[in-house]
Amino acid sequence: MKNYTLTLSLLLFVTFYATAADYTDDAIRTLLPFDAIPAITDPQFVPANAAKLDPDAPIIGVTFSGESRAYSLYLLNGHEIVNDVVGGQKIATTW
Amino acid sequence: MYSRELDGETYTFGVSGKLWRDALLMYDHQTRTLWSHITGEAIKGPLKGKRLKPLVSTPQIAWKTWLLNYPSTLILSVPTRDGMRESLNQDVYADYHASQRAGVSGMEYTDDRLPNKSLVIGVQVPAKDGTTQFRAYPLTHFTKMAIINDTLGEVPLLIFHDKGSFATAVFTRNVARDIRTFSVQDKHFVEDNTGTRWNLITGEATSGKEKGTQLERLPAVNIYWFAWARYYPETSIYR
Repeated sequence: MKNYTLTLSLLLFVTFYATAADYTDDAIRTLLPFDAIPAITDPQFVPANAAKLDPDAPIIGVTFSGESRAYSLYLLNGHEIVNDVVGGQKIATTW
Repeated sequence: MYSRELDGETYTFGVSGKLWRDALLMYDHQTRTLWSHITGEAIKGPLKGKRLKPLVSTPQIAWKTWLLNYPSTLILSVPTRDGMRESLNQDVYADYHASQRAGVSGMEYTDDRLPNKSLVIGVQVPAKDGTTQFRAYPLTHFTKMAIINDTLGEVPLLIFHDKGSFATAVFTRNVARDIRTFSVQDKHFVEDNTGTRWNLITGEATSGKEKGTQLERLPAVNIYWFAWARYYPETSIYR
């Protein structure tokens, strides 16, 4: 069972306390297991009038073939990637 | 923002938990190749060397401004996980954004042309000789004027950043076979040298015989200087 709070705490801990000493230029470093931060593969959407987001909150916006989507950056902090289809275009929204 | 289609195949992406050049790597579920989400390039695995096609988006904008311009938009709903609702109105990285700390590895950054945590708009355009030209536009340039008319290599560019909504967009200034020059009217509305008025959130002409015409939008990112310079050290800076 993934623990969202633990995952983020771990990420922030490493973020704050990792040192330059173990850094090798261009090396791939493992910070967390695969999918510890769960990407969204089956995104669910609501119309704007059902949204509870603060009006000033930042989003990523996309529009293809007349279809538009908004992804809250605060939500993306915990997921990083949304696999979506917008206006027939298969997209990966990344943050 | 990338296309999930490549060479006729469709991929889905997850978070690898691995870091490369101070940014998380994505992986695709189909081949487990590792991809940079900064460059879209596959750096390890069966698809190494392939590159995802970048797509245009509005990389950041206030929800209310987006909604005003795209009233039929849908918005990603809050997933429920382990019976807990995620926080919708809180930035878990607020401390990081407010700090002077650059990156997650603690490494030293040496490109001191700008302070590490300066926010820039990163733009890349292809040059005639097959290379790519990079330029960083510091957001500090947009405090008085929301737009910059510029030319990068061969490409005439309109760079837009609205400090109120934090909206960013990059367009070419090529319209109907000529190169336009733009000036600010009010908020995100501009007028070009032929008198046509444009909405730079949607990129659409709002007046005259060109009404409804779209400016050609280019991929744009809001990014910290240290990260942009780390990935694209050859970048120039708009001064």
